[in-house]
Amino acid sequence: MTYDIAIIGGGVVGTAIARELSRYDLKTVLVEARSELGDEASKGNSALMCSGVDVPAGSLERRLVRRGYARYCAEAPAMGLPIRKVGAIVLAWNEEQEATLDKDLADARENGFAAEALGSTEVYRRWPHFGPGIRCGLWLPDEAIVDPFSTPHAYALDALENGVEIRRAWRVQRAEPAAQGWRLHGPDGQLEARCVVNAGGIRGDEVDALAGHSDFAIRPRRGQYMILDKSASAIHDVIAMPAPTPTTRGILIAPTIFGNVLVGPTAEDVTDRDDRRVTEDGLRQLRHAIATIAPVLADQPVNTIFAGMRPATQFRDYQIIPRLSQRWLTVGGIRSTGLSASLGIAEHVVGLLIPALFDAPRKPNTRPITVPDLSEAAQRPWQDTARIHCDPDYAEMVCHCERISLGEIRDALASPLAPSTLNGLKRRTRAMFGRCQGFYCGARVQALLDAQVP
Amino acid sequence: MAHDTDPRVLIVGAGPAGLAAAHALARQGVGGILVIDRDDAPGGLPRFCHHPGFGLEYARWPYTGPGFVKRLLHDLKGADVRIACRTTLLSLRAGPEVEVVGPSTGLRWIRPETVILATGIRESNRGNLAIPGGRAESGILTTGQLQQIVARKVALPKRLKSIIVVGTEHVAFSAIWTARNAGLRVTAMIGGEDRIMSFAPFGGLARLLGTAVMTQSRIREIEAKDGAVVAAIIETPAGTRRLPTDGVVFTANWIPETAALAGGPVALDPRTAGPTIDQAMRTSTRGIFAAGNVLHGVESSGWCANEGRHAGDMAARFLRGEIDGNQAGARIELSPDLDFIVPQLWNGAGGLPFNLRMTADVGGRKLALTVGETILWSGDRRRLLRRRRISFRPAAEKAPCDGAAMLHLID
Repeated sequence: MTYDIAIIGGGVVGTAIARELSRYDLKTVLVEARSELGDEASKGNSALMCSGVDVPAGSLERRLVRRGYARYCAEAPAMGLPIRKVGAIVLAWNEEQEATLDKDLADARENGFAAEALGSTEVYRRWPHFGPGIRCGLWLPDEAIVDPFSTPHAYALDALENGVEIRRAWRVQRAEPAAQGWRLHGPDGQLEARCVVNAGGIRGDEVDALAGHSDFAIRPRRGQYMILDKSASAIHDVIAMPAPTPTTRGILIAPTIFGNVLVGPTAEDVTDRDDRRVTEDGLRQLRHAIATIAPVLADQPVNTIFAGMRPATQFRDYQIIPRLSQRWLTVGGIRSTGLSASLGIAEHVVGLLIPALFDAPRKPNTRPITVPDLSEAAQRPWQDTARIHCDPDYAEMVCHCERISLGEIRDALASPLAPSTLNGLKRRTRAMFGRCQGFYCGARVQALLDAQVP
Repeated sequence: MAHDTDPRVLIVGAGPAGLAAAHALARQGVGGILVIDRDDAPGGLPRFCHHPGFGLEYARWPYTGPGFVKRLLHDLKGADVRIACRTTLLSLRAGPEVEVVGPSTGLRWIRPETVILATGIRESNRGNLAIPGGRAESGILTTGQLQQIVARKVALPKRLKSIIVVGTEHVAFSAIWTARNAGLRVTAMIGGEDRIMSFAPFGGLARLLGTAVMTQSRIREIEAKDGAVVAAIIETPAGTRRLPTDGVVFTANWIPETAALAGGPVALDPRTAGPTIDQAMRTSTRGIFAAGNVLHGVESSGWCANEGRHAGDMAARFLRGEIDGNQAGARIELSPDLDFIVPQLWNGAGGLPFNLRMTADVGGRKLALTVGETILWSGDRRRLLRRRRISFRPAAEKAPCDGAAMLHLID
């Protein structure tokens, strides 16, 4: 059977494109190399929904982040995806940074972003826990935090519900031109598609090489992070970051949607795209950021440390290359704003394909989906007396630190696109995300997974 | 006990301290005791420790972990005690009022006359300790998690054949025992001190079993490849060494489990991270007692059961109106070379001895409790080891009724 479109890559970008294409009368398949979706660049990021104000003006990235942000705010709630507009404060400690903030404020005003300059007194009035020496700040009230794990899952579930086929653990080994497009060879056979969309993320250049293209090379940029325990969020509940320098955006300290505080990322160019190591130097940089921005957080317990990999390239902007005559469209270099821009990128990509390549009509109806809202601010299943009365499994905690019930774990394991690995299950439920990292619940969660996944 | 009537006594945690507290209360004729535990069976951490060494101070017999739990449960036969597992303490207010959730209780506030907190302790993991290195999807564990995996007969990761153990306290040897019985090779144990923190002969035994015992060493980094641990980088006095291994088990560095107390009225001691108590096991909140490892870095199950028994006795006296529900006594301030003391308040009520820990080994000096210039008590031991329990019992009649006494070292 021949598909109209095959999407390679099931990260936040690939799944968003799949969801967008599911609105049209097309046969679409999404293939993901790993056994879980969102298992590479999409899982190790700052979990921010950026309005686009701090993305370079005039770039495709800014246009798509801005559009992605607007669409996410409009469409995420119906899917059950949480958003908290906590706002961001960009801080200046020296004259150079002050000048940057002045420029950024002018740019924000010119382009219609919400932004406000705050003097030092006002900064310390609002956030008395900040470290000394801050000269001024730029307040960006629209910056938000979201759930980076449920987002690609919700997109994929939506796409699945609306007719897209999803294959996991299906790594494309070879691509060859076929009579009507491309033939892709995977682990258990092959499929044909009239058009391929490469959303290969951190391996985008390798996927492009399958079709003989080498317009860009992935220059993986590692970002190390530290997650502080819930007690930190009572102290710090704003996205705080230093004014950017020409080389880096700097390390930020932000609340997470799960009620923790995140510190990171570092920005290190590495040669091996799988080298997601945490280093002593990285931890030193993270601790330095805490000491500078919010020193009171220094003695908060650390729950976990990890590193993510951003699929940067030699170019500053996104690399969206529509080779329509060759029926191969590449979505590359979505470096650190992929989550924010995902719905903007999807719309842009589908706009390139329809009607130029496919004159497909939009389907009259869409079947809605919802995913469990995993945010700390939402009503948790155990807080819902009616729900636990009907099903006492929601009253039985398995993960005690995050208060995740047996019912939630059972539901995730029984759902379409069920997780098949412990890490997948963690990202779908929050189980084992907490301070004990599995001391109490690891064995039980593993047993529940093993009972479901042979 | 009917669903909607509140128990007279609520005990939180069905480990050795909680179960012994229930027994002490029942023995004194107190009825209407509800013990809740968030796990799926009673027993606390010992129920996963299938080796001897449990309950010695309490029951004069070296039970296995599950054996000791069985004994504690047997003691409760016929008593008016209900144990509700799978039931979680969510929060706690003065009153006392306790919010719980569980399949049998639903989500509700319980208003018992008294509460005993026996919520136990956990070990620090790799993230808490911020040990850098590679990302592994499996093979990085704590003793507690390893023991549960084995006790619950969960399959170990296929690639896990050998481990190294970080730490040299008793629990590290428990980890070795568990790992060996699960068919894992334990290639090394790593400790920061110049000696083993558990009993010295255990070190010799470990060596006999083929485990390299590395003291004055620390784990600097974990190496991983394709999601699995491949080696640990260890700093030793002889230089940096790379030890190939499939897994790393972090032991000890205990953290009391007090999440449900956050933002509530029960005062915590920054030194222990557990509730502050007086000699009658009373916390800062009227009618709320505490016992067991939630109070301190780890003690044996027998010691915890003794604390539970004492807390149960004191709660029974409180219910009979023989003692007040409010915490009382002089606060014991510590000099910087002392790590923590439990109880933190001294009121001459007797009960259990004080339990003290040092921040470092000390030789040639002894402990003294003073108020101003007056020495109320001084010890006779002149060698005090870090992480070893130091117990002492100053004469009750000397206790000041309020204010603070100072515990420090004298020559």
